Amino acid sequence: MIKVLHYLNQFFAGIGGEEKAGQEVLFLSQPVGIGSVLENAFKAHGVAYATIACGDNYFHEAEENALRAIGAAIDQFRPDIFLAGPAFNAGRYGIACAKVCSWVRDNWRIPAITAMHEDNPGTREIGRHVFVLQTGASAASMQDVLRRYSLLVERLIAQDQKAIEDFRAEYCLAIPRRFTIRTDKPDYVRAADLLLARLSGQSYESEIPRIETQAHTVPNLTVSLAEATVALVTEGGLVPKGNPDRLESSRGSRYFKYSVHGRSDLKHGEFEAMHTGYDTSTVDRDPDRLVPLDAMRVLESGQRIKKVHDQYFVTTGTGAMPSKMAELGAGIAAEIAGAGIDAVILTAT
Amino acid sequence: MVVITCLANVAAQVGVGRIMSGSKFHFPVGQPELPAPEELRWRVALIEKALASLEARLEEPKIF
Repeated sequence: MIKVLHYLNQFFAGIGGEEKAGQEVLFLSQPVGIGSVLENAFKAHGVAYATIACGDNYFHEAEENALRAIGAAIDQFRPDIFLAGPAFNAGRYGIACAKVCSWVRDNWRIPAITAMHEDNPGTREIGRHVFVLQTGASAASMQDVLRRYSLLVERLIAQDQKAIEDFRAEYCLAIPRRFTIRTDKPDYVRAADLLLARLSGQSYESEIPRIETQAHTVPNLTVSLAEATVALVTEGGLVPKGNPDRLESSRGSRYFKYSVHGRSDLKHGEFEAMHTGYDTSTVDRDPDRLVPLDAMRVLESGQRIKKVHDQYFVTTGTGAMPSKMAELGAGIAAEIAGAGIDAVILTAT
Repeated sequence: MVVITCLANVAAQVGVGRIMSGSKFHFPVGQPELPAPEELRWRVALIEKALASLEARLEEPKIF
Protein backbone atom coordinates (compact mmCIF):
# COMPACT_ATOMS: atom_id res chain seq x y z
CA MET A 1 0.00 0.00 0.00
CA ILE A 2 1.38 3.42 -0.95
CA LYS A 3 0.01 6.76 0.03
CA VAL A 4 0.00 9.56 -2.52
CA LEU A 5 -0.81 13.18 -1.72
CA HIS A 6 -1.46 15.44 -4.70
CA TYR A 7 -1.40 19.27 -4.66
CA LEU A 8 -3.74 20.93 -7.16
CA ASN A 9 -4.80 24.52 -7.69
CA GLN A 10 -8.44 25.55 -7.51
CA PHE A 11 -8.91 25.07 -11.25
CA PHE A 12 -7.57 21.52 -11.52
CA ALA A 13 -9.34 20.60 -8.28
CA GLY A 14 -12.63 21.55 -9.95
CA ILE A 15 -13.45 24.30 -7.46
CA GLY A 16 -13.53 27.12 -9.96
CA GLY A 17 -11.56 29.52 -12.11
CA GLU A 18 -10.00 32.87 -11.39
CA GLU A 19 -12.94 33.88 -9.17
CA LYS A 20 -11.96 31.05 -6.77
CA ALA A 21 -8.22 31.79 -6.77
CA GLY A 22 -8.50 32.94 -3.16
CA GLN A 23 -9.48 29.42 -2.03
CA GLU A 24 -7.78 28.42 1.25
CA VAL A 25 -6.01 25.08 1.62
CA LEU A 26 -8.48 22.18 1.49
CA PHE A 27 -7.59 18.61 2.39
CA LEU A 28 -9.68 16.01 0.53
CA SER A 29 -9.33 12.34 1.39
CA GLN A 30 -9.89 11.22 -2.19
CA PRO A 31 -8.40 11.86 -5.62
CA VAL A 32 -9.85 14.73 -7.65
CA GLY A 33 -9.80 15.29 -11.42
CA ILE A 34 -6.51 14.07 -12.92
CA GLY A 35 -5.77 12.47 -9.54
CA SER A 36 -8.41 9.83 -10.36
CA VAL A 37 -6.48 8.91 -13.51
CA LEU A 38 -3.28 8.49 -11.51
CA GLU A 39 -4.97 6.59 -8.71
CA ASN A 40 -6.21 4.16 -11.32
CA ALA A 41 -2.68 3.76 -12.69
CA PHE A 42 -1.34 2.81 -9.23
CA LYS A 43 -4.20 0.48 -8.31
CA ALA A 44 -2.10 -2.66 -8.66
CA HIS A 45 0.00 -1.55 -5.69
CA GLY A 46 -2.91 -0.69 -3.47
CA VAL A 47 -3.01 3.05 -3.07
CA ALA A 48 -4.44 5.61 -0.70
CA TYR A 49 -4.82 8.85 -2.62
CA ALA A 50 -5.61 12.23 -1.11
CA THR A 51 -5.69 15.74 -2.49
CA ILE A 52 -4.71 19.20 -1.31
CA ALA A 53 -6.48 21.99 -3.15
CA CYS A 54 -5.30 25.59 -2.85
CA GLY A 55 -6.16 28.76 -4.74
CA ASP A 56 -3.31 30.25 -6.78
CA ASN A 57 -3.77 33.68 -5.22
CA TYR A 58 -4.19 32.33 -1.71
CA PHE A 59 -0.86 30.51 -1.88
CA HIS A 60 1.00 33.66 -2.87
CA GLU A 61 -0.83 36.01 -0.55
CA ALA A 62 -0.67 33.75 2.51
CA GLU A 63 2.24 31.44 1.76
CA GLU A 64 3.12 30.83 5.39
CA ASN A 65 -0.45 29.89 6.33
CA ALA A 66 -0.79 27.75 3.21
CA LEU A 67 2.38 25.81 4.01
CA ARG A 68 1.30 25.37 7.64
CA ALA A 69 -2.02 23.88 6.51
CA ILE A 70 -0.28 21.65 3.97
CA GLY A 71 2.16 20.52 6.67
CA ALA A 72 -0.74 19.61 8.96
CA ALA A 73 -2.30 17.56 6.15
CA ILE A 74 1.00 15.74 5.60
CA ASP A 75 1.40 14.97 9.31
CA GLN A 76 -2.13 13.60 9.35
CA PHE A 77 -2.05 11.63 6.08
CA ARG A 78 1.66 10.61 6.11
CA PRO A 79 2.13 10.25 2.33
CA ASP A 80 4.95 8.18 0.79
CA ILE A 81 5.01 10.29 -2.35
CA PHE A 82 4.04 13.92 -2.94
CA LEU A 83 2.78 15.15 -6.31
CA ALA A 84 1.98 18.67 -7.51
CA GLY A 85 0.69 19.99 -10.80
CA PRO A 86 1.20 19.71 -13.73
CA ALA A 87 1.42 23.49 -14.01
CA PHE A 88 2.36 23.71 -17.71
CA ASN A 89 3.16 27.40 -18.30
CA ALA A 90 0.90 28.81 -15.53
CA GLY A 91 3.20 31.05 -13.52
CA ARG A 92 1.44 31.33 -10.13
CA TYR A 93 0.60 27.64 -10.14
CA GLY A 94 4.12 26.69 -11.22
CA ILE A 95 5.74 28.73 -8.48
CA ALA A 96 3.37 27.23 -5.89
CA CYS A 97 4.09 23.67 -7.12
CA ALA A 98 7.84 24.30 -7.01
CA LYS A 99 7.79 25.85 -3.54
CA VAL A 100 5.49 23.23 -2.03
CA CYS A 101 7.47 20.31 -3.52
CA SER A 102 10.80 21.76 -2.36
CA TRP A 103 9.44 22.40 1.11
CA VAL A 104 7.89 18.93 1.42
CA ARG A 105 11.04 17.22 0.13
CA ASP A 106 13.23 19.15 2.56
CA ASN A 107 11.06 18.62 5.61
CA TRP A 108 9.62 15.12 5.17
CA ARG A 109 12.28 13.55 2.93
CA ILE A 110 9.74 11.92 0.66
CA PRO A 111 9.96 11.99 -3.13
CA ALA A 112 8.28 15.08 -4.58
CA ILE A 113 7.29 15.30 -8.23
CA THR A 114 5.93 18.26 -10.13
CA ALA A 115 5.68 19.10 -13.82
CA MET A 116 5.86 22.30 -15.81
CA HIS A 117 7.09 23.94 -18.99
CA GLU A 118 10.74 24.99 -19.04
CA ASP A 119 9.80 28.68 -19.24
CA ASN A 120 7.54 28.54 -16.19
CA PRO A 121 8.95 30.94 -13.55
CA GLY A 122 8.41 28.10 -11.07
CA THR A 123 11.61 26.50 -12.40
CA ARG A 124 13.54 29.16 -10.47
CA GLU A 125 12.03 27.98 -7.19
CA ILE A 126 12.90 24.31 -7.54
CA GLY A 127 14.91 22.87 -4.69
CA ARG A 128 17.39 20.04 -4.75
CA HIS A 129 16.07 16.51 -5.38
CA VAL A 130 12.62 17.58 -6.60
CA PHE A 131 11.63 15.86 -9.85
CA VAL A 132 10.30 18.31 -12.43
CA LEU A 133 8.72 16.60 -15.42
CA GLN A 134 9.00 18.53 -18.64
CA THR A 135 5.64 19.48 -20.16
CA GLY A 136 4.38 21.41 -23.13
CA ALA A 137 3.17 24.97 -22.64
CA SER A 138 -0.49 23.97 -22.38
CA ALA A 139 -2.70 21.19 -21.06
CA ALA A 140 -2.71 19.64 -24.55
CA SER A 141 0.24 17.52 -23.34
CA MET A 142 -1.74 16.25 -20.32
CA GLN A 143 -1.94 12.59 -21.38
CA ASP A 144 1.82 12.30 -21.83
CA VAL A 145 2.49 14.08 -18.56
CA LEU A 146 0.18 11.81 -16.58
CA ARG A 147 1.90 8.77 -18.09
CA ARG A 148 5.23 10.16 -16.94
CA TYR A 149 4.05 10.81 -13.40
CA SER A 150 2.90 7.19 -13.19
CA LEU A 151 6.08 5.86 -14.82
CA LEU A 152 8.23 7.71 -12.31
CA VAL A 153 6.08 6.65 -9.36
CA GLU A 154 6.42 3.01 -10.53
CA ARG A 155 10.19 3.38 -10.50
CA LEU A 156 10.17 5.06 -7.10
CA ILE A 157 8.07 2.23 -5.69
CA ALA A 158 10.49 -0.29 -7.19
CA GLN A 159 13.38 1.73 -5.68
CA ASP A 160 15.38 1.12 -8.82
CA GLN A 161 17.97 3.91 -8.55
CA LYS A 162 19.36 3.45 -12.03
CA ALA A 163 15.90 3.48 -13.61
CA ILE A 164 15.06 6.60 -11.60
CA GLU A 165 18.20 8.43 -12.73
CA ASP A 166 17.65 7.33 -16.34
CA PHE A 167 14.12 8.68 -16.09
CA ARG A 168 15.37 11.95 -14.63
CA ALA A 169 17.84 12.38 -17.48
CA GLU A 170 15.22 11.68 -20.11
CA TYR A 171 12.05 13.33 -18.90
CA CYS A 172 12.92 15.85 -16.18
CA LEU A 173 14.00 19.43 -16.64
CA ALA A 174 17.65 19.95 -15.92
CA ILE A 175 17.47 22.84 -13.50
CA PRO A 176 20.85 24.55 -13.52
CA ARG A 177 20.99 25.98 -10.04
CA ARG A 178 23.63 26.22 -7.40
CA PHE A 179 23.18 24.18 -4.28
CA THR A 180 25.21 23.93 -1.11
CA ILE A 181 26.44 20.41 -0.55
CA ARG A 182 28.87 19.11 2.07
CA THR A 183 31.82 17.05 0.90
CA ASP A 184 34.61 15.11 2.61
CA LYS A 185 37.36 16.98 0.79
CA PRO A 186 37.72 20.71 0.14
CA ASP A 187 37.50 21.98 -3.42
CA TYR A 188 41.24 22.46 -3.93
CA VAL A 189 41.85 18.79 -3.06
CA ARG A 190 39.10 17.65 -5.41
CA ALA A 191 40.43 19.89 -8.17
CA ALA A 192 43.98 18.52 -7.69
CA ASP A 193 42.60 14.96 -7.68
CA LEU A 194 40.84 15.62 -10.98
CA LEU A 195 44.00 17.04 -12.49
CA LEU A 196 46.14 14.12 -11.27
CA ALA A 197 43.58 11.65 -12.61
CA ARG A 198 43.68 13.35 -15.97
CA LEU A 199 47.48 13.54 -16.08
CA SER A 200 47.83 9.88 -15.18
CA GLY A 201 45.28 8.82 -17.78
CA GLN A 202 42.68 7.63 -15.26
CA SER A 203 39.01 8.21 -15.78
CA TYR A 204 37.52 11.25 -14.04
CA GLU A 205 34.29 13.14 -14.02
CA SER A 206 34.05 16.91 -13.72
CA GLU A 207 31.69 18.30 -11.10
CA ILE A 208 30.57 20.93 -13.59
CA PRO A 209 28.36 19.55 -16.35
CA ARG A 210 29.38 20.52 -19.85
CA ILE A 211 26.95 22.46 -21.95
CA GLU A 212 26.52 20.39 -25.07
CA THR A 213 26.36 22.43 -28.22
CA GLN A 214 25.49 21.41 -31.72
CA ALA A 215 27.93 21.78 -34.55
CA HIS A 216 26.66 24.33 -37.05
CA THR A 217 27.63 24.73 -40.64
CA VAL A 218 29.41 28.03 -41.21
CA PRO A 219 27.41 30.15 -43.65
CA ASN A 220 29.32 31.96 -46.39
CA LEU A 221 28.29 35.16 -48.17
CA THR A 222 25.97 34.64 -51.11
CA VAL A 223 26.58 38.12 -52.61
CA SER A 224 29.62 40.34 -52.74
CA LEU A 225 29.91 42.79 -49.85
CA ALA A 226 29.47 45.69 -52.26
CA GLU A 227 25.95 44.34 -52.81
CA ALA A 228 25.33 43.35 -49.21
CA THR A 229 23.10 44.77 -46.50
CA VAL A 230 24.85 44.25 -43.17
CA ALA A 231 23.06 44.28 -39.81
CA LEU A 232 24.52 45.00 -36.39
CA VAL A 233 23.56 42.79 -33.46
CA THR A 234 24.74 42.87 -29.86
CA GLU A 235 24.14 41.12 -26.57
CA GLY A 236 25.62 44.12 -24.79
CA GLY A 237 22.29 45.67 -23.80
CA LEU A 238 22.49 48.95 -25.76
CA VAL A 239 19.12 50.72 -25.71
CA PRO A 240 17.84 54.26 -26.30
CA LYS A 241 18.44 56.47 -23.24
CA GLY A 242 15.82 55.73 -20.59
CA ASN A 243 15.38 52.10 -21.73
CA PRO A 244 11.84 52.63 -23.08
CA ASP A 245 11.10 48.90 -23.52
CA ARG A 246 12.50 47.88 -20.13
CA LEU A 247 15.15 45.49 -21.44
CA GLU A 248 16.41 43.49 -18.45
CA SER A 249 19.96 44.31 -17.35
CA SER A 250 20.62 40.61 -16.81
CA ARG A 251 18.89 37.38 -17.79
CA GLY A 252 17.46 39.03 -20.89
CA SER A 253 14.17 37.41 -21.86
CA ARG A 254 13.50 39.47 -24.97
CA TYR A 255 15.32 41.20 -27.79
CA PHE A 256 14.60 44.54 -29.35
CA LYS A 257 15.52 46.39 -32.52
CA TYR A 258 16.20 50.09 -32.63
CA SER A 259 16.45 52.38 -35.62
CA VAL A 260 19.75 53.79 -36.79
CA HIS A 261 18.12 55.30 -39.87
CA GLY A 262 19.54 58.75 -40.60
CA ARG A 263 22.18 58.46 -37.86
CA SER A 264 25.88 58.72 -38.63
CA ASP A 265 26.82 57.37 -35.22
CA LEU A 266 25.38 56.51 -31.81
CA LYS A 267 25.79 59.50 -29.56
CA HIS A 268 26.55 59.75 -25.86
CA GLY A 269 23.35 60.62 -24.01
CA GLU A 270 21.07 59.18 -26.70
CA PHE A 271 21.88 55.51 -26.08
CA GLU A 272 23.00 53.65 -22.97
CA ALA A 273 23.88 50.09 -22.04
CA MET A 274 21.68 48.00 -19.73
CA HIS A 275 23.95 45.18 -18.64
CA THR A 276 25.09 44.07 -15.20
CA GLY A 277 27.78 41.82 -16.72
CA TYR A 278 30.32 44.54 -17.48
CA ASP A 279 31.29 48.11 -16.63
CA THR A 280 29.14 50.01 -19.11
CA SER A 281 30.65 53.46 -18.52
CA THR A 282 33.03 53.37 -21.50
CA VAL A 283 30.24 52.32 -23.84
CA ASP A 284 27.90 54.93 -22.40
CA ARG A 285 30.46 57.64 -23.21
CA ASP A 286 30.50 56.47 -26.84
CA PRO A 287 28.00 53.73 -27.78
CA ASP A 288 29.85 53.11 -31.07
CA ARG A 289 32.35 51.21 -28.92
CA LEU A 290 29.70 48.49 -28.65
CA VAL A 291 27.57 48.94 -31.77
CA PRO A 292 30.04 50.31 -34.35
CA LEU A 293 27.64 52.37 -36.44
CA ASP A 294 30.14 55.18 -37.12
CA ALA A 295 32.67 52.80 -38.69
CA MET A 296 29.92 51.04 -40.65
CA ARG A 297 28.79 54.39 -42.09
CA VAL A 298 32.36 55.14 -43.24
CA LEU A 299 32.52 51.77 -44.99
CA GLU A 300 29.03 52.28 -46.42
CA SER A 301 29.86 55.65 -47.88
CA GLY A 302 33.07 54.16 -49.30
CA GLN A 303 30.84 51.53 -50.98
CA ARG A 304 32.67 48.69 -49.26
CA ILE A 305 29.18 47.48 -48.33
CA LYS A 306 25.91 48.44 -49.93
CA LYS A 307 23.99 49.33 -46.81
CA VAL A 308 23.87 49.20 -43.04
CA HIS A 309 20.51 47.71 -42.02
CA ASP A 310 18.20 50.39 -40.63
CA GLN A 311 17.87 48.75 -37.22
CA TYR A 312 20.26 47.08 -34.84
CA PHE A 313 19.18 44.09 -32.73
CA VAL A 314 19.91 43.87 -29.02
CA THR A 315 19.45 41.68 -25.97
CA THR A 316 21.28 41.22 -22.67
CA GLY A 317 23.47 38.15 -22.57
CA THR A 318 24.59 38.10 -18.96
CA GLY A 319 23.35 35.54 -16.45
CA ALA A 320 21.10 34.03 -19.07
CA MET A 321 20.15 30.45 -19.75
CA PRO A 322 21.77 29.15 -22.95
CA SER A 323 18.38 27.71 -23.96
CA LYS A 324 16.76 31.15 -23.67
CA MET A 325 19.57 32.78 -25.63
CA ALA A 326 19.21 30.13 -28.35
CA GLU A 327 15.51 30.96 -28.54
CA LEU A 328 16.19 34.72 -28.79
CA GLY A 329 18.94 34.06 -31.34
CA ALA A 330 16.53 32.04 -33.46
CA GLY A 331 14.03 34.91 -33.30
CA ILE A 332 16.61 37.47 -34.38
CA ALA A 333 17.87 35.14 -37.13
CA ALA A 334 14.34 34.66 -38.47
CA GLU A 335 13.83 38.44 -38.64
CA ILE A 336 17.19 38.89 -40.34
CA ALA A 337 16.43 36.19 -42.89
CA GLY A 338 13.09 37.86 -43.63
CA ALA A 339 14.52 41.37 -43.96
CA GLY A 340 16.86 40.82 -46.90
CA ILE A 341 19.99 41.09 -44.74
CA ASP A 342 23.08 39.41 -46.19
CA ALA A 343 25.53 39.50 -43.29
CA VAL A 344 25.74 40.24 -39.58
CA ILE A 345 28.38 41.70 -37.31
CA LEU A 346 27.60 40.69 -33.73
CA THR A 347 29.46 42.29 -30.86
CA ALA A 348 29.59 40.41 -27.58
CA THR A 349 30.81 41.63 -24.20
CA MET B 1 27.95 36.37 -39.36
CA VAL B 2 31.09 37.31 -37.51
CA VAL B 3 31.17 37.65 -33.72
CA ILE B 4 33.54 40.24 -32.28
CA THR B 5 34.34 39.34 -28.69
CA CYS B 6 37.16 39.07 -26.18
CA LEU B 7 35.92 35.67 -25.08
CA ALA B 8 36.74 33.80 -28.28
CA ASN B 9 36.89 30.48 -26.44
CA VAL B 10 33.30 30.92 -25.21
CA ALA B 11 32.11 31.81 -28.71
CA ALA B 12 33.91 28.74 -30.07
CA GLN B 13 32.35 26.51 -27.40
CA VAL B 14 28.83 27.55 -28.34
CA GLY B 15 29.49 26.85 -31.99
CA VAL B 16 30.10 30.26 -33.59
CA GLY B 17 31.67 29.91 -37.05
CA ARG B 18 33.50 33.22 -37.50
CA ILE B 19 35.08 34.77 -34.45
CA MET B 20 37.23 37.87 -34.19
CA SER B 21 38.98 39.17 -31.10
CA GLY B 22 37.71 42.51 -29.89
CA SER B 23 39.45 45.22 -27.93
CA LYS B 24 38.24 44.74 -24.33
CA PHE B 25 35.35 42.71 -23.08
CA HIS B 26 33.55 45.83 -21.82
CA PHE B 27 34.04 47.70 -25.10
CA PRO B 28 34.72 45.15 -27.84
CA VAL B 29 35.00 47.74 -30.62
CA GLY B 30 36.41 50.69 -28.68
CA GLN B 31 39.83 52.20 -28.00
CA PRO B 32 38.96 54.97 -25.52
CA GLU B 33 42.55 56.10 -24.88
CA LEU B 34 42.79 57.37 -28.46
CA PRO B 35 41.55 60.83 -29.53
CA ALA B 36 38.12 60.51 -31.19
CA PRO B 37 39.23 60.79 -34.85
CA GLU B 38 41.94 58.20 -34.31
CA GLU B 39 39.58 55.91 -32.45
CA LEU B 40 37.22 56.06 -35.43
CA ARG B 41 40.08 55.21 -37.82
CA TRP B 42 41.04 52.32 -35.58
CA ARG B 43 37.43 51.10 -35.48
CA VAL B 44 37.03 51.35 -39.27
CA ALA B 45 40.17 49.19 -39.65
CA LEU B 46 38.77 46.67 -37.14
CA ILE B 47 35.42 46.48 -38.92
CA GLU B 48 37.24 46.20 -42.27
CA LYS B 49 38.97 43.14 -40.81
CA ALA B 50 35.55 41.81 -39.74
CA LEU B 51 34.24 42.34 -43.28
CA ALA B 52 37.25 40.50 -44.70
CA SER B 53 36.45 37.59 -42.37
CA LEU B 54 32.92 37.56 -43.79
CA GLU B 55 34.38 37.29 -47.30
CA ALA B 56 36.54 34.29 -46.37
CA ARG B 57 35.02 31.01 -47.61
CA LEU B 58 34.92 28.72 -44.60
CA GLU B 59 34.15 25.04 -44.18
CA GLU B 60 34.91 24.98 -40.48
CA PRO B 61 34.85 27.48 -37.61
CA LYS B 62 37.76 29.88 -37.52
CA ILE B 63 39.09 32.50 -35.12
CA PHE B 64 40.42 35.50 -37.05
